[in-house]
Amino acid sequence: MKCQEIEGLLPDYLHGKLNSDWAIKVGEHVSQCSECREEVEIWKKLALLPEEQPSEQSRARFRSMLESYQEGRWENASLARERTKFRGVGDLLDWVRTPSLSVAWACLLAIAAFLGGRYVAGGDRVDREGQELAALRRELQTTQQLVALSYLQQQSASERLQGVNMSTRLEPDPQVLDALQHTLRYDTSVDVRLAALDALSHYGTRPEVSRGLMEALDSEQSPMVQVALIDVLVDLHDSSAVEPFKRLQQAPKTDPTVRKHVDWGIRQLGS
Amino acid sequence: MKGKGTGTTPGTTSNSMSDEELMSQVRQGVGEMLGVLFERYQSPLFNFYLKLTGDRAMSEDLVQEVFFRMLKYRQSYRPDTPFRAWMYQIARNARVDHLRRRRPETSWEPEMSPAIAPADTAEQSQETALLYRALMRLNEDKREVLVLSRFQDLKYEEIAQLLGCEIGTVKTRVHRALQELREIFHGLQGAKPLRGKSSEGTGAWPGSGSLQ
Repeated sequence: MKCQEIEGLLPDYLHGKLNSDWAIKVGEHVSQCSECREEVEIWKKLALLPEEQPSEQSRARFRSMLESYQEGRWENASLARERTKFRGVGDLLDWVRTPSLSVAWACLLAIAAFLGGRYVAGGDRVDREGQELAALRRELQTTQQLVALSYLQQQSASERLQGVNMSTRLEPDPQVLDALQHTLRYDTSVDVRLAALDALSHYGTRPEVSRGLMEALDSEQSPMVQVALIDVLVDLHDSSAVEPFKRLQQAPKTDPTVRKHVDWGIRQLGS
Repeated sequence: MKGKGTGTTPGTTSNSMSDEELMSQVRQGVGEMLGVLFERYQSPLFNFYLKLTGDRAMSEDLVQEVFFRMLKYRQSYRPDTPFRAWMYQIARNARVDHLRRRRPETSWEPEMSPAIAPADTAEQSQETALLYRALMRLNEDKREVLVLSRFQDLKYEEIAQLLGCEIGTVKTRVHRALQELREIFHGLQGAKPLRGKSSEGTGAWPGSGSLQ
């Protein structure tokens, strides 16, 4: 038997998968041919390489990944249920009646009624009324901000989502922007964080907002939000985002899809 | 591999379940069952990666990545198909993605990485270290096929399926990999031939009895 014939048989021989006739033939060849014998021996020698154990940390990491997955899934499921509630008008009224927000809503309604009354009454002192209206509008704006802010602090993810949506209809106010930034960084719901990001993206040219977005990218764990953050920062053409991009790119836990996206982001920002 | 789970995972019923049954449950949303699979496979996967990369930290990260992907892509597991094939597919993809990301900075020297535990005797540990270095110097594709067939308890058919090639090709690759490994090992030994004993002398190597 020649080495070439052995070639196709040796791997099965090594695994003990040859029938006895062939095994004997290969065995005979191996005992005579030093090259083939060395191959068999190195295969056996590979058993010297010990079986290693991963560190104890490995199990803890897995557990925390599994837990966060399960929590995330459950939260998403309940959020989906809450969202469907919004589709009906009756349910919308339920939502308006949320006790914790009733004071804010009462203020809003009172101001609206006052404004309406002024319009109906009409009058000749147009200038003075114009000033009063402007003052009232400012007040209304402030009250809306209060409503939005109080929504942002609610227990239910869908109420917080509503708070974010309300804030997008307001004039940018440092307090609201601050609350949105806080929501973006610390809200437990991915949907709410995404909505907050969307709202903030309109004010990305403000240095404190863009800085906040970069900080959020450093702490954000959800691939979905990370990708959205990258998009917003790329749109801003702010080259100082390259640093947080690189940190994300190099972080060992970064999701592969996110990593691809951040590579793209770095190229976009021209570095 | 069955029944390897420890007390940290759900009860004995799940421990007696097959990999396929467990993964089907994970697919249906019983995420906890992944814990049993983790106990069964974290060590084989870790050793797979460690022998491929020689890097403990990276290997641990990749093991985590595999289980994360199992959860994320659980719907892609088709019930009643071999779980291990699916898992190793994920494991290979995770590594390929990892390599792609790291490529610009790869200048890593396998010899620098002390991934192996000390063996029983000085001579043996030296031999193990040499063998390890030889394995690390092997071309990546060859190393992978060798690790899969020698350490991961996979049949040639399974490896062929995994690599998307013919069984014959896998066997040829294993053979070539062994040839190359032998040459590199020789080179590292300073052209000193392997102890030219026939197979009766091999009993001195621990674990040599595992030749199946």
